Amino acid sequence: MSTAHEAHGHHYTTTGLDNRKIAIWAFIGSECMLFASLISTYLIYKGKSVVGPYPHQAWTDPSTGRVFAPILNIPITSASTFVLLMSSLAMVLALSAVENKGKPMPPGSGWWDKALTSSKLWLWITCLLGAGFLGFQAYEFTSFVHEGLTIRTNLFGSSFFTLTGFHGAHVTAGVIWLGTLLAIDHKRGLMPSDTLAVDLAALYWHFVDVVWIAIFTLLYLIPD
Amino acid sequence: MALATVLILFALAACSGSYPNSTFQPTTDFNRDLTSLWDKMMFWGTIVFVIVEAILIYAIIKYRRRPGTPEPRHVHGNTLMEITWTLAPALILVFIAVPTVRTIFKTQAEAPASALQIEVIGHQWWWEFRYPEYGMTTANELYLPIGRTVNFALRSADVLHSFWIPALGGKRDLITNRTNYLWFTPDSTGEAAFNGSCNEFCGLSHANMKFRVFTVSPADFESWATHQKGNAVYPAASAASAASVQPVSNAASAQTAIAATTQPPAPAAAAVSPGFVFPREKVPPHVMPTTPIPPTVRIADAVIAAGDAERGLATYSRSACIGCHKIRGNPSSLGIIGPDLTHIGSRFTIGSGLFPNDAKHLAHWIKNARAMKPGSLMQTLGKGEHDPIMNSTVTMGGLTDPQIADIVAYLQTLK
Amino acid sequence: MATVAASPTYTSSAGTPRSVLMDWLSTTDHKKIGVLYLHTSLFFFVFGGLEAILMRWQLMKPNNTVLTAEQFNQLFTMHGTTMVFLAIMPLSAAFFNYLIPLQIGARDVAFPRLNAFSYWVYLLGGIFITMPIFFWLAPDGGWFGYAPLSGRSYSPGPNMDFWVLGLQILGISSLAAGFNFVTTVINLRAPGMNMMRMPMFTWMSFVTQFLIILAFPVITIALVFLQFDRFFGTTFYAMSAGADPLLWQHLFWIFGHPEVYILVLPAFGLVSEVLPTNSKKPLFGYPVMAYSGILIGFLGFGVWAHHMFSVGLGPIADTVFSLTTMLIAIPTGVKIFNWIFTMWGGSIRFTTAMKFAIGLIAMFTIGGISGISHASPPSDLQQTDTYYIVAHFHYVLFGGAIMGIFAGIYHYFPKMYGRLMNERMGSWHFWLTLIAMNLTFFPMHFAGMLGMPRRIYTYDAGQGWELFNMLSTIGSFLLAPATLLFLYNFFTSKKRGEQCGPNPWDAPTLEWSIPSPPPEYNFAKIPMVSSRYPLWDLTHPERTSEIPHTQTGWTEAEMQTGEYDMTPMHVETETRTAKELGIPMPSSTIKPLFVALGIVLMFSGLLFMPKGMHVPAFVLMGGGAAMWIGFLYAWLTTPLEEHH
Ligand code: HEA
Ligand code: HEA
Ligand code: CUA
Ligand SMILES: [Cu+2]
Repeated sequence: MSTAHEAHGHHYTTTGLDNRKIAIWAFIGSECMLFASLISTYLIYKGKSVVGPYPHQAWTDPSTGRVFAPILNIPITSASTFVLLMSSLAMVLALSAVENKGKPMPPGSGWWDKALTSSKLWLWITCLLGAGFLGFQAYEFTSFVHEGLTIRTNLFGSSFFTLTGFHGAHVTAGVIWLGTLLAIDHKRGLMPSDTLAVDLAALYWHFVDVVWIAIFTLLYLIPD
Repeated sequence: MALATVLILFALAACSGSYPNSTFQPTTDFNRDLTSLWDKMMFWGTIVFVIVEAILIYAIIKYRRRPGTPEPRHVHGNTLMEITWTLAPALILVFIAVPTVRTIFKTQAEAPASALQIEVIGHQWWWEFRYPEYGMTTANELYLPIGRTVNFALRSADVLHSFWIPALGGKRDLITNRTNYLWFTPDSTGEAAFNGSCNEFCGLSHANMKFRVFTVSPADFESWATHQKGNAVYPAASAASAASVQPVSNAASAQTAIAATTQPPAPAAAAVSPGFVFPREKVPPHVMPTTPIPPTVRIADAVIAAGDAERGLATYSRSACIGCHKIRGNPSSLGIIGPDLTHIGSRFTIGSGLFPNDAKHLAHWIKNARAMKPGSLMQTLGKGEHDPIMNSTVTMGGLTDPQIADIVAYLQTLK
Repeated sequence: MATVAASPTYTSSAGTPRSVLMDWLSTTDHKKIGVLYLHTSLFFFVFGGLEAILMRWQLMKPNNTVLTAEQFNQLFTMHGTTMVFLAIMPLSAAFFNYLIPLQIGARDVAFPRLNAFSYWVYLLGGIFITMPIFFWLAPDGGWFGYAPLSGRSYSPGPNMDFWVLGLQILGISSLAAGFNFVTTVINLRAPGMNMMRMPMFTWMSFVTQFLIILAFPVITIALVFLQFDRFFGTTFYAMSAGADPLLWQHLFWIFGHPEVYILVLPAFGLVSEVLPTNSKKPLFGYPVMAYSGILIGFLGFGVWAHHMFSVGLGPIADTVFSLTTMLIAIPTGVKIFNWIFTMWGGSIRFTTAMKFAIGLIAMFTIGGISGISHASPPSDLQQTDTYYIVAHFHYVLFGGAIMGIFAGIYHYFPKMYGRLMNERMGSWHFWLTLIAMNLTFFPMHFAGMLGMPRRIYTYDAGQGWELFNMLSTIGSFLLAPATLLFLYNFFTSKKRGEQCGPNPWDAPTLEWSIPSPPPEYNFAKIPMVSSRYPLWDLTHPERTSEIPHTQTGWTEAEMQTGEYDMTPMHVETETRTAKELGIPMPSSTIKPLFVALGIVLMFSGLLFMPKGMHVPAFVLMGGGAAMWIGFLYAWLTTPLEEHH
């Protein structure tokens, strides 16, 4: 009577979906409220800082006369945004590569067709792009500190670093997660049966990406 | 039960004598609005309560299981009934919501320009009251002219507080970095005294952040305000000169003050009126605090009685007091951290409504304010006293009991 | 009833004390975790009650000196925090754990180890935030810790550090449980158990889980800001930097109001199980009950500023939030009336559970009506931050949440232990509690409207409050023996209570179709559910025959589909163990406990920062982090079930 279980591990579910798939969606819903709180705090405090430096205009310190340039560097951040967007694309390709592992290739397909079927390749690219984005952020943070904005400086500094820091932490977690998948892929190769594992990481990765789009638009593009 | 509530509450409202802080007093336009709203609420609330509890009790009695109770009929629902008890409450809510919204906009409108402006500044844990119209500042005791609208501008010097005089109307919070407004017209209070309190938890002595309110005739108010605006009158002799000086002309007053230390008080004193003060005999008991003095703080009555204002002025002007307190007319007393003491002698309470303002309590207060009022910013001053916040004993620069008695004598002359 | 004679074999927890202890520490069985939750949260309820009793003692008469200001402020802060986060929420969690899988016909929750993790985080977090009261170092900023008072500049001591970090820790527990139960309810329902056939408790719990996963992130962020301010000198609530105190208030209450429904909806669910069973009638208007629950939860997110009517948001905002708040009366009223009409025309059996359920209807209505009276901003200006508010929320919390939970405990005790609780003692407990709670909390209405502010450690004589405070104090002193009686009944009945079969109350839902206490695997054969009241379909078909849209027979073909053997609805008498039946169960593991411990240690490290004690700080934070990461890795790399 219980043969079913030994046959294949995963249990009967109401929706037919794996539990983890539903849990990750619940988790993402929760995360939305988390970032909503962070972003609205930033917007509420926008323009409320009593001292500079400010995100979009210059500021002269009345006491020292020192002039602070506008903090946010749109060109560089546009670049890092592009990098993160591309990582999402790579993620999609990685997922499909895992799904279609072992499918015979149509005759006459070239190296790029092969490339498209390599989950390792695309996972690596996703990871590296993610890491690249973090690199940009590290650079951004350090240069801001040099320009005189720390997390303690003013309301802008506190809300900016906390918000983008939280996002950066999420990206880091994502990179680690993808890293473990890569490790598995190198160890025994990810098979179509592993699709779900990759799919979960992908969902999370895309979410983190979308959040960044929101942050980029609301913080960087909209001047005050 | 709720029906009882209403009845009892109205009863209470009526004989508000025994309930001095009752919110059901028709003393101001503001409070009348709130009370009439409350009446509507209680009316509908009682109806709802009675209906619900009545059906409930009827049901559980009628349908209790007795031997031989038949299998019940198995209704699973009834759309019509369910619509009924969706709409009925909705309707009731309309009856509550309409007057609510009206009152919101009425009570939160701009105060009339003619209103008497009073700035209320909350401190941990006392109240600063400024009358810009009279260029005058006092603490913990408000005088309001009967019949004139007052508009309070509410600010905080530190954490959040909330300004409430239950008998005169609703409360408003004092919010750091913001200004709130609250206005009403005490039009039917008569010459009366009320208690106010802080209602937003603001730390250790939140419970001890109280104040007093006196509604007086416009004439008396003028007299009080003009006198309060004037500099400290010391000794009473110089009242004539001091009381008459226009806005804080420190030069003149300073001289009188200094002169005062050298000259003995002139007999002319009696002649000068110290300005209106709420008549002591009319002060209702609930306004006079009965807070016991903590047993750890002791100072002999004989010593207090021996206090001398002359020496007091001298000691005061050299003591730590002047760092925090201002006495307009005493050139050395310019502090702004603590309450303004210019006319401390004319107040009924000290410690933000915590103790009656008499020699005994004042002396104990000066000796060890922090033992008298938890967390008080005013440090312990009595020599050999234990400071509960520093957790140390006062030695250097501490005041001896006789010195304290002298200071008390001096302060009491500042009517 | 085969099981009446002697409790089934699988309940005999043979073994040395040590192995029994390990058994509990490493359990992944939702029922055992439920029992752990129940006992821990009962302890915290008593603890919070004792804190309350101390407060009442101090407030018994004017100018009393039983407690100092420091002590009183810590007591009311911890009383509120304890009751909300350590007593009622986990009491509900005890029922989520124990009942949801049984009610939907599952063998466990979706993530059994995550479930254990939630409990251990709760337990350790509870200890973390409760410890300091024994040294009078407990949080003292009120249960909603308003900024800037809660900031470092006005609360320099460690007190509020414990609060900030403690709530962060407890949040992790609630969120983890939230994801777990959302998944469980969506995905582990037995075949045929569609949403409109779920027992009402599962429904209300389901709504509650959504409130949790959507509301807790908000307070998490509010706390992160406060934590950064206190430890790293950020400026979120730094008034000198131009910060706005209302930021905290908005964030807190966007969480805080949904939170109060998180506290009461599970109790509503329990009552919705007790009433039909003891009235021999189906729940009146089941669909509306479900929808009203959803509506309450939904509206609950749009009313938060009714806690801020005195901060001066302006007439527009006050109007909007006043109206949304009043709207909630409608779905709640629907529940009240549907409960009453569930009993209407029924045949009511007054079990203790039933008495508490009826008590909830009567008492919660009072709290609801006072709630409406401060949903009107102008009149709230005379009520807010007075004892009138204290009266309101104790009627909804004690008269609502606690009464419902007591009903649930008396009702489900037999399922948990295979024995009945003593009904005579139960009756005494109920009547004492009912009288004492009204004696305690009703006079507070008067004290409040007669000008008594809340959160005052002392008050002066002659203010007209003496009588009401004396009454409240007497009432609270009566609540203690009442609660003691309950505890005595609870613990003695476990051993000496009269043994009962699988379904002592003749209840209609799945959990009553299996033995009491249930075997580790719950259902030897997963039943195919074809109705809202499957057991009544078997025993009293006439009771459910009139209910539309719930009857669908199953074809043989359908029976064969699905992963494991499914059988028509039946009363389960199987008493063999999972091993004997070859049902794979999640293997027990102690890793979640250590992950939880690591996280708590990591947070505790921060406590040393302000004192400049960096060595212990970094040792604890580093060690804690290493610990939880290590054990989490081990956890994730070991399969849930050992394959046999
Ligand atoms: C279980 C928790 C719980 C529940 C269910 C509720 C339910 C409600 N609460 Fe309460 N509330 C609290 C817990 C809860 N509250 C707590 C803890 C606080 C204080 C926090 C603090 O400051 O420490 C608080 C504070 C609080 C305030 C802020 C008061 C202040 O600080 O100034 C307000 C203001 O609107 C309010 C309103 C309401 C309303 C309208 C409901 C409604 O949901 C009630 C609806 C129910 C009914 C109305 C009864 C049944 C309905 C009918 C029988 C139908 C007919 C009825 C009518 C037509 C009126 N509550
Ligand atoms: C579900 C939540 C809940 C529950 C059940 C209670 C239960 C009780 N509460 Fe509480 N209360 C709150 C939630 C709750 N409270 C909250 C959120 C606040 C706001 C805090 C704040 O302002 O920050 C508050 C505030 C609060 C105050 C206001 C404090 C103030 O503003 O200064 C008071 C005052 O009387 C009070 C009293 C009580 C009493 C007497 C009980 C009683 O019902 C307790 C009954 C239980 C027991 C009595 C336990 C049984 C005890 C034993 C079995 C041991 C027996 C042994 C001995 C007595 C030796 N509570
Ligand atoms: Cu000031 Cu409370
Ligand atoms: Cu609320």
